[in-house]
Amino acid sequence: MVKRIHYDSLVRNLVHSLMACLWVAASAAAAEVEAQLDRDSVAAGNGALLTLKVSGSRAARPEMPEIENFIIEPRGQSQQMNIVNGRTSVSVTYQYAVGSNTPGDYRIPPIEVEVDGKKFSTQALKLKVLDSAAAKPPAGMPSGPAPPSPDADEGGKRFGFLTVEPQASDRKYVYVGEIAPVRIRAWFPVDARAQLSSGIQPEGKAFTLHNVSDRPEQTHEMRDGKRYLVVTWYGGISATKAGKYPASLSVNATVAVRDSSAPKPRRARSGPFSDPFFDSILDDMNAPMIQKDVTLKSDDQEIEVRPLPAEGRPEGFNGAVGEFKFDRTDISSEWKTGEPRQIGARISGSGNFALMNAPELSPADDWKIYPGKSDFTPGDNASFSGSKRFQFSAVPRKGGEQEVALKFSYFDPNRGAYVEITSPEKKIRIAGEDMAEEEPAAAPDDGPPVRRPEELVGQHLEISAPGLLVPLVLRTEFRNMLGVAGGLCALGGILAWLRLRWSDPQRRARAAIEKATQQAMDAAKRQAEAGDVSGFFNAARRAIQERLGGLWQQPAQAITLAEVTARIPGDSPVARFFREADLHEYGRQADVASLARWQSLLDETMASLQAQDQPR
Amino acid sequence: MKRFLTMILPCLLFATALAAGSSRFDRANERFAAGDFAQAAELYQEVIDAEGPSAAALFNFGNCEQRLGKYGPAILAYERARLLTPRDPDLRANLALARKSAAVFEEPGRFPRVDAFFEFPSLNEWSWIVAGGALFLGGLAVLRGAVGFSKRWLVAGVRSTAIVAALLVALGAVALYLRRGEKERGVTLSDNATVRLSPFEAAESLGTTGPGRIVRILKTDGAFHYVAVPGTTLQGWMSDKDVAAILPSMP
Repeated sequence: MVKRIHYDSLVRNLVHSLMACLWVAASAAAAEVEAQLDRDSVAAGNGALLTLKVSGSRAARPEMPEIENFIIEPRGQSQQMNIVNGRTSVSVTYQYAVGSNTPGDYRIPPIEVEVDGKKFSTQALKLKVLDSAAAKPPAGMPSGPAPPSPDADEGGKRFGFLTVEPQASDRKYVYVGEIAPVRIRAWFPVDARAQLSSGIQPEGKAFTLHNVSDRPEQTHEMRDGKRYLVVTWYGGISATKAGKYPASLSVNATVAVRDSSAPKPRRARSGPFSDPFFDSILDDMNAPMIQKDVTLKSDDQEIEVRPLPAEGRPEGFNGAVGEFKFDRTDISSEWKTGEPRQIGARISGSGNFALMNAPELSPADDWKIYPGKSDFTPGDNASFSGSKRFQFSAVPRKGGEQEVALKFSYFDPNRGAYVEITSPEKKIRIAGEDMAEEEPAAAPDDGPPVRRPEELVGQHLEISAPGLLVPLVLRTEFRNMLGVAGGLCALGGILAWLRLRWSDPQRRARAAIEKATQQAMDAAKRQAEAGDVSGFFNAARRAIQERLGGLWQQPAQAITLAEVTARIPGDSPVARFFREADLHEYGRQADVASLARWQSLLDETMASLQAQDQPR
Repeated sequence: MKRFLTMILPCLLFATALAAGSSRFDRANERFAAGDFAQAAELYQEVIDAEGPSAAALFNFGNCEQRLGKYGPAILAYERARLLTPRDPDLRANLALARKSAAVFEEPGRFPRVDAFFEFPSLNEWSWIVAGGALFLGGLAVLRGAVGFSKRWLVAGVRSTAIVAALLVALGAVALYLRRGEKERGVTLSDNATVRLSPFEAAESLGTTGPGRIVRILKTDGAFHYVAVPGTTLQGWMSDKDVAAILPSMP
């Protein structure tokens, strides 16, 4: 038996098979699970953002793995739906805050998600949790857990609080001028909105704050089971006078927090969200915000400030407190008397660099020294450690060979004693003859201009004329002036209109016609009163001609009975009066008795013409 | 004789007052130079009270207050002096210094150059530009209406002048509109300037602003002003010990 293969059927089967393969491939391609971290490392106590994107039409909620000492906290989800050529694809993005309070290398194992009945896995992720000390606080800054927090629920702390963490030290006192590096942290509830309205300020006048970082760090941190937004500054605090003083810092802020004490809205406690857990969340979300201007003040810590001892104070001591050493010196080998040359030095260490002056040349006899410039390179966020480079000019006065060095003295607070350090001696040769005592040429100063302290400028010595503080716009005079201006504009408009109207030729022609008509009417009236029939008709016809001339825009004299009857119906008062006037003129019948009737006809004629003239 | 006295007496009185004020001003300057800022401030205040506010007296008074560390009254005095001499560089420098010392910074506008242009003349100067321009236009309209100009160059000249005046009036009107909020400006005076829920001293505190902060005074009830603190949502009542309007008779 021979089986016949139909070509059409074969093609149809092939197409169907191909479509089925494509559908399977497309389905497989559409389902996708992807996880990524926004950073590779994070400080202990801080969090990184884990984003998990699940693409597919029917995806189950991902199951997050449990890792020891590692926190994975859901941060919400978003869904995206695309319809392309009638095909729908859905992707859901889940976000998690991940991190740990314990430093170490953490591995997040593949996260499994079931999409369209199949299980998909992400790649494994790695997160390095660094010790908080790795954030490089100044040397000696505490790097362990934060000091115990004040009770966050305490009335005054609900808007946040301030902590100051000083340098770890065994000493219970500081010296005047010594700068102690501190880490200052403002803690705000994580759902609060905070706006700082001042910089960090020391309370009281015994301490000053130095080198507070311009750009504070912002982190989210857990503390006592609560999550906070933490703003961190680094700076140095120093005492200005000896004695025992409470030291604390403060910062002003406007903080808005949710008022969880506000009455809860009545809500139906049924349905899928009837769980007390959701009630609490929804209540918190619906709680009104309350805002307050607050001053966050750190706890007072009494600090003993000791004066710098007078005993053993070196002659060249200029207030440097800390621990310093010469890094390098730059002294030329060849000199010439009377000619200035630059001497350079770099001192590094930790302490109050702000009060540090340039080292001295030793021996200083027979030299003229000019002030120079210096620049500081901080080694930490609080500018407590670092190095300071000095450059100044010196002019030798005596020739010959010398061995010179640079000397610098400071007070070491840990030793409680003054220390004098000297750079390695350098042999130099000074050419030229010894100089007399005259002033040498000024040293070239390539340094920046000396910054003058900010001061008030100007004081008026002559009293100026008193003025009105309230600007004109807020006084009644302003409205009056604008009213006058408006009136003047209106007056100008009226005057312009009147002037144009006065000079209008049509208006003038009409006025002339009106005047001539009126004069003719007056004459007709007078003639009628005098019984002069002929005179009456002449004047009356002239009046009608004047009026018609104005209406028809043609000379009054050119208007005759023929013209009138051609343009006006024959029974109209105008035509009738013209006929009467012509009859009288040609007939010469002085019928005085009819004057009243003609007068009446004239009035009717003029009234009809007046009516025609109105629309104009 | 009577008429003569009637005319001369007010002049004499004015001259005497001026001389007295000038001498008081000089004494204030002497106290300032001697470092007695409190006494100098009192004398400057007397000059202002007696003769009316002058830019020099307000400026010097502000300097005294700043020297005394009273940044609120200092900023208020400078702001008032700025109404009279808006382009005085010394005044701007000292005001900036006072603001810096008080840790008060005004939020810059969205268009700093436009703001700088409209703030170059004072509110008073813009008012005069608008009023003067409008009066000029009115006068021109009357002249044009009454006389009419037949010469072409004259017509073109008048028209150009009118367009310039109209543009100035329009520009001034825009400036006055944009700066309309300035009449509500006030300055917090004391370090503990407190915003309260209600207009009385014992009312609950909503927050404090610190000295020298610019606030908007929205209404007044007795000795309390209802203020809004720009840049925050803080609104409430402040005692007139804690806040003063920059324009004394406002709002």
